[in-house]
Amino acid sequence: MSGLTDILYPFFVEKLPYITIAVFLLGVALRAARWLSAPRDPGKRPVSVFAAVKYVVLDVVLFRKTFKSDKVTWLILFLFHVAAGGILFGHMRGFHLWSAEMFAPLGEWVAEFMVEVLPIYMGWLFIATQVLLLIRRGVLEGRQLLSLPNDYLALVLLLITTILGQGMRIFPPEAIPPETYSVVFIPGLIVLHLEKVPSFHWFFLHVLFTQLFVMYIPFSKLVHIFSGVITSALYGSRRAEYGI
Amino acid sequence: MASKLEAGKTREALGRFTRRQLLELDTCAHCALCTEKCPAYAESKVPNYAPGVRSSKTARLVNKQFGLWARLLGPRPVTAEEVSDLAESAFNCTLCGRCMETCPFGLQTHELWTRVRELVYALGGTLPNVRMLDEMLEENQNPYGLDADMRLDWADYTDLEEVPEKDRAEVAYFVGCTTAFKGANHEVAYSIASILNQLGEDWTLLGEDEWCCGSPLLLAGNEEGAREFAEHNVEALEARGVKTVITGCAGCFRVFKWEYPKLLGRSPRFRIIHAVEYLRDKLASGELKPEPFRGKVAYHDPCELSRLGGVIDAPREVLKYLVGDYIELPEHGMDVRCCGGGGLLQAANNDLRLAIVKRRLGQAAALGAEVLTSACPACKLAFVDGVRASESDIEVLDIMELAARQLGLL
Repeated sequence: MSGLTDILYPFFVEKLPYITIAVFLLGVALRAARWLSAPRDPGKRPVSVFAAVKYVVLDVVLFRKTFKSDKVTWLILFLFHVAAGGILFGHMRGFHLWSAEMFAPLGEWVAEFMVEVLPIYMGWLFIATQVLLLIRRGVLEGRQLLSLPNDYLALVLLLITTILGQGMRIFPPEAIPPETYSVVFIPGLIVLHLEKVPSFHWFFLHVLFTQLFVMYIPFSKLVHIFSGVITSALYGSRRAEYGI
Repeated sequence: MASKLEAGKTREALGRFTRRQLLELDTCAHCALCTEKCPAYAESKVPNYAPGVRSSKTARLVNKQFGLWARLLGPRPVTAEEVSDLAESAFNCTLCGRCMETCPFGLQTHELWTRVRELVYALGGTLPNVRMLDEMLEENQNPYGLDADMRLDWADYTDLEEVPEKDRAEVAYFVGCTTAFKGANHEVAYSIASILNQLGEDWTLLGEDEWCCGSPLLLAGNEEGAREFAEHNVEALEARGVKTVITGCAGCFRVFKWEYPKLLGRSPRFRIIHAVEYLRDKLASGELKPEPFRGKVAYHDPCELSRLGGVIDAPREVLKYLVGDYIELPEHGMDVRCCGGGGLLQAANNDLRLAIVKRRLGQAAALGAEVLTSACPACKLAFVDGVRASESDIEVLDIMELAARQLGLL
């Protein structure tokens, strides 16, 4: 490390996480305030918990409706979300929510597969499906859809973040200062622990872009990660109310 | 140069999007999965008619007034050109709700697009033909601009002997404007009235006191007008002590059942059923014994009765009694492909309506259907126009006409 990175690096792993969490929470609060400031829907709709859960599982988890209308897009979307979930799960190990040892009873190779092999494949799958979704959007742009700038920004930001994360795994590790083995988001509560010393430049940029991505979530279309669950649940309730 | 609309009016109109609708606009990922399923887009390939494009354009306008940048830097003006462009999109739509059924997030687009029409209406961007229809409704209480005393002409034309107009009755038959005023549907009214007479029901019509149900007003974006019509009809029906309202119109049914409680802030003191539900019950109880029709019959689900109304099984149960050789059309039930007859598309773009109905007729013809039935006067009109335009030999009948015929009443 030298020059500017000497200053920036500690900032990105020591200070920026606090800003990231703050911006994310502020964004969620602003978004929620925007929704709540709008008038209520007229009439009282009964909420059917069973129907709401059923349609969240069918439509959000399994993408049933996409499967019915477009099998190819369903496959890409499904694999995209499987990869996203897999990578998110992988990161949870860094937050000490699980460990390789938990898989050891199933065999050493399983534990090794979970922490060494699977993440690489998940990374490639995530990149490939994002590229395909980006191409799909580009092909349909102007004919079937009209993207807003943030539709692309969200996808591009995620793609850069993923490529950087994958690069971190592929390129040989370099020495980084020991204090950066941990990235503290909320002291004692949300702390990312690094087991190995990753490739410095890739790690440096991955940390930066991941935080930019997290900050951007509540201000972007990525808000559908949360709101899509609510709208699907409301749709399920509507179907129950209509008896269909 | 773009003409900016008055700020206060714009803000008020855009501020009418409800919590759920704002959530839905923010959730729409502009994935275009609904596009090919949209009948208006599928037949026209005009990008502006695609639901996702409409969502993007609406979100842009809302964000101009209520988005984060608007909060930080102040709202930006909306132009008349933007509203006009949105109107083109909003009214070249049958409001069939198929995009809702396709949407991976279950966005309730039927209500969202209706709200967009309200926005367009409030900002003076409504299409000229739709505006004319709105004016005729205000003047004549029906969308055809005809005098109220012509509401019972169908009874004269069909030689119906008993047309009750009572002060009190258990059952009311709400005919609906498209059945009462359109000749192609007069026999639908006759069929329902004849069946009610055959069963000896204590029933009545509202006659000249019947106003349009308000559906076209809602579809035009005039919610206040629709509320006034709802108040009138409910008052007229409740004053007669009616317990059950029967209608053969899918649009009237949907509005009575699902919109009136929202418009009035209370549920009417009567239940509303579609004529096919009534018929199903009477066939199941053995009170009516029709002779089964010999020939291939297909049934088209009216969007407002099925996907938007919740009545999918009743017509099929009726057809089990009426038909020996029933054909299920592709894209039916919740996933029904619209016939093009809804959403005021006839007023906005009749060529598109005809293109949509021809596609649906083609599906019935490909299966060898001799009779195509439905349970909605707007669907019937669309199919009749489609048959004429495509020189098809399919006979178009409302399910109630088929029933009356097989009961020897028609």
